[in-house]
Amino acid sequence: MMRGKTIVAFAAIGSLCLATAGSAQTWEKEWKETLAKAKQEGKVVVATSPDPIMREISARFKERFGIAVEHLAGRSSQLASRLRSERQAGVYTVDVFMGGIQTVATILYREKMLDPLKPALVLPEVTDAKKWKKGKVWFVDPEEKYVARPFSTVSGLLHFNTDFVKPSELATAKDLLNPKWRGKISSEDPTTPGSGSNTAARIYAQMGEEFMRKLYIEQRPMITRERRQLTDWLARGTYPISFGAHDTDVDKMKKEGFPLQEIFGFPDMPPALTGSPWQLVLMAGAPHPNAAKVFVNWMLSKEGLQIYARGEEAATLRTDVDESFLPPERIPRPGINYFDTFDWEWTVSGKEKVRLRLKEILGR
Amino acid sequence: MASGSAKVGAPAVPVPGVWFRWSWFRAAEAGAAVLLVLLMGVPVLFLLVSSFNTAAPGQAAVYGLQNWTRAFTDPGTLSALWMSFLIASVRLVPAMLLSVLVAWLISRTDMPGGNTLEFLCWMAYFVPDFPLVLAWILLLDPNFGFLNTLAAYLPFVDAPIFNPYSFWGIIWVHTSTNGIWFKVMLLTPVFRRLGAALEEAARVSGADTWTTLRRVTFPVLSPMILAIAALSFIRGLESFNTELLLGLPAGIYVYATRIYDYTRSEPPGYGEATALGSVFLAVLAVLAFYYQKYLRGKRKFTVVTGQGYSTSRVQLGKWRYVALGGCVLYFAVMMVLPLAFLVIGSFMRRYGFFSIKSPFTLAHWQNLLGDPIFLVSLKNSLVIASLTAGAGIVLYSLVAYLIVSKRSVAAPVLDFLCWLPWVVPGILMSLGLLWLFLATPLRSVLYGSVWGIALAMTIKDSPVTTQAFRAAFLQLGPELEEAGRVSGASWWCTYRRILLPLLAPMIATVGILNFGSAITSVSTPVLLYSAQSRPLAILLLEYSFTGELERAAALGLLITALICSMMLVGRKLGLQLTQS
Repeated sequence: MMRGKTIVAFAAIGSLCLATAGSAQTWEKEWKETLAKAKQEGKVVVATSPDPIMREISARFKERFGIAVEHLAGRSSQLASRLRSERQAGVYTVDVFMGGIQTVATILYREKMLDPLKPALVLPEVTDAKKWKKGKVWFVDPEEKYVARPFSTVSGLLHFNTDFVKPSELATAKDLLNPKWRGKISSEDPTTPGSGSNTAARIYAQMGEEFMRKLYIEQRPMITRERRQLTDWLARGTYPISFGAHDTDVDKMKKEGFPLQEIFGFPDMPPALTGSPWQLVLMAGAPHPNAAKVFVNWMLSKEGLQIYARGEEAATLRTDVDESFLPPERIPRPGINYFDTFDWEWTVSGKEKVRLRLKEILGR
Repeated sequence: MASGSAKVGAPAVPVPGVWFRWSWFRAAEAGAAVLLVLLMGVPVLFLLVSSFNTAAPGQAAVYGLQNWTRAFTDPGTLSALWMSFLIASVRLVPAMLLSVLVAWLISRTDMPGGNTLEFLCWMAYFVPDFPLVLAWILLLDPNFGFLNTLAAYLPFVDAPIFNPYSFWGIIWVHTSTNGIWFKVMLLTPVFRRLGAALEEAARVSGADTWTTLRRVTFPVLSPMILAIAALSFIRGLESFNTELLLGLPAGIYVYATRIYDYTRSEPPGYGEATALGSVFLAVLAVLAFYYQKYLRGKRKFTVVTGQGYSTSRVQLGKWRYVALGGCVLYFAVMMVLPLAFLVIGSFMRRYGFFSIKSPFTLAHWQNLLGDPIFLVSLKNSLVIASLTAGAGIVLYSLVAYLIVSKRSVAAPVLDFLCWLPWVVPGILMSLGLLWLFLATPLRSVLYGSVWGIALAMTIKDSPVTTQAFRAAFLQLGPELEEAGRVSGASWWCTYRRILLPLLAPMIATVGILNFGSAITSVSTPVLLYSAQSRPLAILLLEYSFTGELERAAALGLLITALICSMMLVGRKLGLQLTQS
């Protein structure tokens, strides 16, 4: 009996080994073939924001695989309009899109401009469940195969200048409504799509309409769409509380010695998550399908994501990316119920409604 | 703007001689009409049709008025429209008066330093707006503005004097960034063309300088003055960058911002944006009607005839130095001051922060020149700008020739079509052209290439270029061409040996203007470029988008220097052609 069990166990182990070896051979074979074809294609066209990190991504990818990255830069919505027009004319120029959740969910996905990304992921480094905090690559679309979200960072709510605002003066969200701060707050325009409206939508969802009305009307915030204005005002103390200043800009000012602090949430307003800087999708009808496949695999690998994580100061969902450069508050902790500003449902239904409601409230 | 222009009362070239045969003339006219319909009319038509499409993006088209209704019932649309008219009107009147005065001083008087001032106008025009507006913020901000800080030392000042975030702040900054530079650039060549004979006749008749200006000079040059006023007014209505930066904090919203917002929404509301843009078409129709009416009056605009040509200048006496002083003061405040801040800003670690440790650095210039995309973009921009300048000169000189011709039957249509690219806001025109390029068999050549961007820029430049050539043709007397014909010269020989040298200053002007606008324009190429054809202006947009203002300032200055050097070459060529 014992002998029989041993035989079965050896047989099982043997099969597993064979299966693993087979699987290894399968992905390696597939990868080699893809890579060879990708090199013949010569390039991959990636549409994304005009992020300077793309210079490094392009150089590193070229160095690694000998395939050039053509970076088509622009606002997500403009790029999407262009892609839509191309497709209507039967023209396909872009292979990979890395953009905001709003554009991806409400335009590219909704208008069926995407190919499934999941089957294109073949590198074990990417498909290995242990490499991901969620136990797998997180596909956020309803079918769980088109839109990959590799980042999840605790989203800052506001920044303030401690020369003008003591940390104890902003202990709760309601402190923001103190008349003392009237005319002392700046905000990115909450009525146009972007981080300003995302923050406003979060405030609306977490604190309700009355709070939002008081904050955006009674507190008379200074509204702008120019990100550098927000940081400059914050550093000078012109408007010492700022909704919407970019972390990378603020960090530069901190290095210059300006006493700036960030608040992620309050006891009465739990912190939130963001999927910035982008979600990864594969365009349907990609003109360089093999190069695109190599690129998406590499982009979701440790090396690809690490470059972006450092450049954008974002936390990835990989388990093996070094996060020591990030402030601990930016890394999501287990056990906290975060409000996810990049949640699919919230994106396709809630956010836009709140933006339009805010436009109405502000009379614009 | 519809033409009719010179059918009564005078002009000129417009009488193509018998050797430019009737059949050839008609063929050229028909060809030009077809070409303009295709290039100017079709993109606008695409946009108009799509504005009635109410289906969700990606779905089969369903037509209705919902986009239009939504756009015009949106709260704030009408007040934004009113604000746009107000700003465009208020900034236009003083700018026009000043421009005419400065152009006259530069080209028709003995004021010293005229050429230098003209050069400075060109330079100022091509400095990118965005960093310049930021420079004005650094100067005028109520909290940290340099001028307010200086003013605070005055004994009677106890509050900030200047505030850029206000209606008058916007007007002031516009006067600096777009005020007189463009107008002086276009007016100076036509003022120069004005022979002294008319002015001398007025003086012999006892008229003083002011009366001569009022009764002779300005009326004769009125086609160009009015065309520039109309161009500036429409550009004023379409302007939104300055208003966005300075108006938003003050709660000032303009009409163009609403259009821009629709194009930025997700998914973009191009239908609503086009609906709102139709107001510009209505404004154009009104302006066209009055312009046509004016030109059809019994007026004569010819200033260059076959009866001798003198370009002697008005002697200002001791006033020449007063005039120079006034000009220098204006240029110093409106141009040198913000430009100096821009130059300094490009060398600062953080634009406008003088108090940080070691505030100056060369890093932004080094980063710019070391950016692998920079050289490729520079090459693309030079190719695009050269193609645009050349194509604009060839195409629109011919179109303007046809428009002012007495025998033209399609002149009003040609004229109207030439205005269309400015009636549609830049980003929408870019979308229309994108559709046009994708719909043609030439899309592999045009889409995403420098050729396509150059064509788009040539199309976008049509109003200025055509109107400039038209005004220049209106100044030429018919006997010039007739003299060529009588001497047995072919039409081409006459055009080359007589008309071209007389048009040379204007050719140089529009050539440089188109060259410069092709390098600095953002909205036209934004949907048309690819990674290989990315021009410098898009690179500058990318730097601004990612908050790299210092590098953007450095690039802006480099672009200005590039255009200025081309300008020197262009002016020299123009001068040589004129002298030859």
